[in-house]
Amino acid sequence: MSIEAYILYAITALLLLISFIIDKEKTKKGLIKGAKSFIKLMPVLLPLFLFIGILLAIVTPEFISSVLGPESGLLGYLSGLVIGSITFMPPFVAYPLGVELLANGAAYPQVAGFLVALMSVGLVYYSAESKLFSKKSAILRNLISFIGAIIVILVVLVVY
Amino acid sequence: MMKFIKKNKFLILLVLMLIIISIIDITLTYKAFANTWDQVLSMLMIVPPIFVLIGLFDVWVDRETVIKLMGNNSGIKGMALAFFLGAFSAGPTLAAFPLALIMLKKGAKYSNVLFFLMVWSSLKLPIVFYQITTIGFKFSMVINLTMLIVFVLGALLSEKLFKKEELEILQEKAINYSK
Repeated sequence: MSIEAYILYAITALLLLISFIIDKEKTKKGLIKGAKSFIKLMPVLLPLFLFIGILLAIVTPEFISSVLGPESGLLGYLSGLVIGSITFMPPFVAYPLGVELLANGAAYPQVAGFLVALMSVGLVYYSAESKLFSKKSAILRNLISFIGAIIVILVVLVVY
Repeated sequence: MMKFIKKNKFLILLVLMLIIISIIDITLTYKAFANTWDQVLSMLMIVPPIFVLIGLFDVWVDRETVIKLMGNNSGIKGMALAFFLGAFSAGPTLAAFPLALIMLKKGAKYSNVLFFLMVWSSLKLPIVFYQITTIGFKFSMVINLTMLIVFVLGALLSEKLFKKEELEILQEKAINYSK
């Protein structure tokens, strides 16, 4: 587990304790509510995990390195954006990969576009997100993030 | 039959994908299942505190407070609060969804909830930490400031894009989710 997970556990435990001291009944009710929303989320989550599992088997960091090579230009940026949008990766894998891509000769804007799309655009979540919120909401969030990734490429082009 | 297909499009697509990769290379399929199991395990590690927090939030924070802090008339303060809640967080975007739902349920403005989700997805502190230690401070700041501006504009724009009825449906869904 990472540091932030421990912090999250510590804060939660503290709040839970305070809540329990102030009002035992209310705390119990809250825990039941939390458990219920967890159970409700499960059917949406399980196919999602299967999807991420398949994706991670195909799109490995090595695969990405081989695709996002030194070729920059429009096609390079586009491939970074597209791969970033459809892939899922935790940050502690993504950013070292970004460094490696730069070391292998990928251009700054390309890597920036890839990383931003990777973090903010979550097409893997689309099915779950459109069920929990709405299709329009899921499309809007991904679209804003994708446009953001394009703008980041432009800004990085100017800055670097 | 059609109804089943329509309702489980995603699942059917996944099974097809599994069949295809099994034909190409069966070791990929094993890897996919191992990865899926890892995902489930790592979620079981990070998710319990989040759902405890959701439960506590539900019983302790009343609707009026949320409406005042993040509701329709919360203005820039509501956005700032959404930013801090998203930034001081941990876990994948997925973990933010149930939190976003409970905010909607309690009367937070949709654009603030959307802003919260977007900040969580790419500007939360653990991510910024990984960014600075790997790709450097300057590169990180260029990326993050640009994204922050895009997210603010996107959230403001979302207010114009959703009709009142659509927002009501969203809120109703959120209320039904944690009944």
